[in-house]
Amino acid sequence: MPAYEFPGGIYPPERKERSNQAPLRTAPLPKVVMLPLSQHTGKAALPCVNVGDAVKTGTLVARRDGMVSANVHASISGTVIEITDSVIIIQGDGEDRWATLPPLDWRTAERDTLLQRLDDSGLIGLGGAGFPTYIKAQVNEHHAIDTLVVNAAECEPYITADDLTLRHYAADVLEGAQLLARLCGATHIIVGVEDNKPEAIQALQALLTVIANSEPLASVTLKIIETRYPSGGERQLIKKLLNREVPSGGLPADIGVLCHNPGTLLAALQAVRDGLPLVARVVTLTGDAITQPGNYWVRVGTSVDALLAQVGVDDEQLHQVVVGGPMMGTPLTSLEAPVTKTTNCLIAATKEELPPAPAEAPCIRCGACESVCPAQLLPQQLHWYARAENDAALEAHHLFDCIECGACSYVCPSAIPLVQDYRSSKQRIRHKRIETAKAEHAKHRFEFRQARLVREEAEKKARRQARLAQQQSASSDATGTQTAPVADLRSLRIAQTAAKAAVRKAEKVLARAAAQDPQQRHDDLETQLATAQENLKAAEARLADARAASEQKEAP
Amino acid sequence: MSMMHAPQLGKAPSTAHVMRWVIAATLPGLAVMTLYFGLGILSNVLIAALWAVAAEALVLRLRHRPIWPTLNDSSALLTGVLLGASLPPASPWWLIGVGVIAAVVVAKQLYGGLGHNPFNPAMVGYALLLVSFPTHMTLWAPPQSLWPDSLWPQIMGTLTTSALDGLSGATPLDAFKHKGDAVLASEFWASSPLPDGTLNAWRNIALAWLAGGVVLIAKRLISWHIPVAMLGSMMLLSALFYANDTSHFGSPLFHLVTGATLFGAFFIATDPVSAATSRQGKLLYGAGIGVLVILIRNLGGYPDAVAFAVLLMNLCVPLLDIVSVPRPVGQATARPDERKSAP
Repeated sequence: MPAYEFPGGIYPPERKERSNQAPLRTAPLPKVVMLPLSQHTGKAALPCVNVGDAVKTGTLVARRDGMVSANVHASISGTVIEITDSVIIIQGDGEDRWATLPPLDWRTAERDTLLQRLDDSGLIGLGGAGFPTYIKAQVNEHHAIDTLVVNAAECEPYITADDLTLRHYAADVLEGAQLLARLCGATHIIVGVEDNKPEAIQALQALLTVIANSEPLASVTLKIIETRYPSGGERQLIKKLLNREVPSGGLPADIGVLCHNPGTLLAALQAVRDGLPLVARVVTLTGDAITQPGNYWVRVGTSVDALLAQVGVDDEQLHQVVVGGPMMGTPLTSLEAPVTKTTNCLIAATKEELPPAPAEAPCIRCGACESVCPAQLLPQQLHWYARAENDAALEAHHLFDCIECGACSYVCPSAIPLVQDYRSSKQRIRHKRIETAKAEHAKHRFEFRQARLVREEAEKKARRQARLAQQQSASSDATGTQTAPVADLRSLRIAQTAAKAAVRKAEKVLARAAAQDPQQRHDDLETQLATAQENLKAAEARLADARAASEQKEAP
Repeated sequence: MSMMHAPQLGKAPSTAHVMRWVIAATLPGLAVMTLYFGLGILSNVLIAALWAVAAEALVLRLRHRPIWPTLNDSSALLTGVLLGASLPPASPWWLIGVGVIAAVVVAKQLYGGLGHNPFNPAMVGYALLLVSFPTHMTLWAPPQSLWPDSLWPQIMGTLTTSALDGLSGATPLDAFKHKGDAVLASEFWASSPLPDGTLNAWRNIALAWLAGGVVLIAKRLISWHIPVAMLGSMMLLSALFYANDTSHFGSPLFHLVTGATLFGAFFIATDPVSAATSRQGKLLYGAGIGVLVILIRNLGGYPDAVAFAVLLMNLCVPLLDIVSVPRPVGQATARPDERKSAP
């Protein structure tokens, strides 16, 4: 199959050989883990253990709150020693006793059971955005999905976690892809991988013939693409593999595609087949200050400090630790920060390899940024508008189509921190939106309260009606008169169906908003969803009430 | 959050690096010019460079801006070199000073310094000199020895006007422009209007500029869009003129190797600050310059027109930047969405 092109892109030094030479290893068990309650897109999870509780590896310690949220599990066995607003800290006992869920067979299990398992296991996208997988797997309820893309491009320099995952677990990753393809109804799986991972490609190719002979649920294609940053961007990869363009402000699901990272697929399979909650992941530990660079299975919650100490780090040389890749990652301000479910790479860099940015010079309008922009934006115009805080012009020039890949900053001869400017502009504009949304939010809270009161009233009435009916049937069979007026059943049924549709719509809006804007909380949409649910309950109560009444009327 | 910004992996050539490479790429052109027209070429460039750096430093001081970091970007130096390279050999120091001050102080610093000037500074200086001191600016000596007799008095501006006239010749473009309508091109060339070797000299100089330009494109310090569009449109339009009337219009080749065509295409029109930014915009911008150069040369009052063509297209850049917006991925059209506005 031919590969298509996405515009722009750059060829930064890859520096992957530093971490892809050693085999996948397991990092030593941490003595203490610090589990953030918000490792995912959406609302933080709510702790469901108390200080002093004994936990096993895999014990649920925080439950998801709201629809867009994810469970958190203990990643070592031991005792809960501290719970704060944002983290749960567990002191390990060094025994690593496990609490696993019963294994399931994804081919035969009910769809709902599988979704429930993904939810229970605290599974989120391990590629970086951390979107809850169980929601993503249900997207075909609103969009027809035909293709599942396995995003193994791994275009960022340094990172080799997906590469090593594929080398060691190619079969499991592809089985995980089949599992998710089954859930979302995709009939085709495309694995997109950059041509700088020959061993992973070999492992996949060896499997393809086996899979083709085994009559898989979804056909599998491997597409090897040119190494060019940012080919691993969801939109860029879809364009490259399928020649489809994700509409602005839309999702891949809008054009029938779902993208998953190999690590997520492996974790999904392990959650279903082995009953393992998401408590460990593959992390690339690299950089010139590390003595034993490579990829490690690391327990979620292990502190970066301890982890680096275990694999050996040259403190003299260490200049900064970057989480993620050098293009989109962020430098750590404190080494006590824990590894989370979305930490794919830690670069312990010397000053020479990732030097501080030179002083910013004036823009000379050279247009280099524009020619590398994979979204075909005008980075330089955006730069002027961002500096002038001209938000209207920023939005008119599609600031929110920027994927923050950093290609523009990388090529800028004047060393202007373009991406930084865009990020803060986005934040400012979002903040403004939130301010205006607040009024709207208050209105929605009021509506929710009204809906709750109406529902309570309807339920009360239904109970009263039921009681009355019982009394009547017990005391006066002879009279047979119906005192309560029977509401029009048909119109109530229509109202109930409409309320159900409203709930579904609210769910859809929330899921979409959360996927698009992973950094944001979506309280307002959650409120609207709750309002719709209240309305549905009220409609159901009224309908049940009316049905009971009419049955009673007919009964004598 | 740390103050460090993504990406951590920054290795792009700096602005100063680009400027210095452009200066280095002028060396073949300057060397060949010096070979044919004498040390008056180098004196122009040196004097202009000194003026430019001094003028930039002075304005930065008056504006209370850091002097050294800005001088270090070499943009003023480049403006000086380019303006110096455009002037007739051994121009007097004061003439160069007037031009450079117009270029660096008025055209660049008064607009806010590097990156903010709407017009090409060197060409502003050149155009000002051309309209203010036409006698000095049309004094192109014929090819001469490396060390001409009156080099020093010329530079010092102490030569009398009559002595100056004695030294001057005409550039090929100049001579052809003023041949008169009654004279056919064939008759004009048959009368050997220029001293021996003049055309050869200009052709070789053009080839030297081309060599420097090719280096810049090969090193990706300038993009090919502007030079190719400019030369392409010049060739096309001059071919149309030539096909229509071979006896009064110069051939495309004549336009290509005479005057400032190749120097302008690779070193002047490619100034990023005053040019259009998008690839499509650059093509339009370059093509516009080419069309204007041929129109002015063939129909206008000036023998050469690169400076005016560049300045006129500089005026069009804001418009070009609007019409040449690429279509963002995922958007239906290229146009900025004016309906969107921050709430």
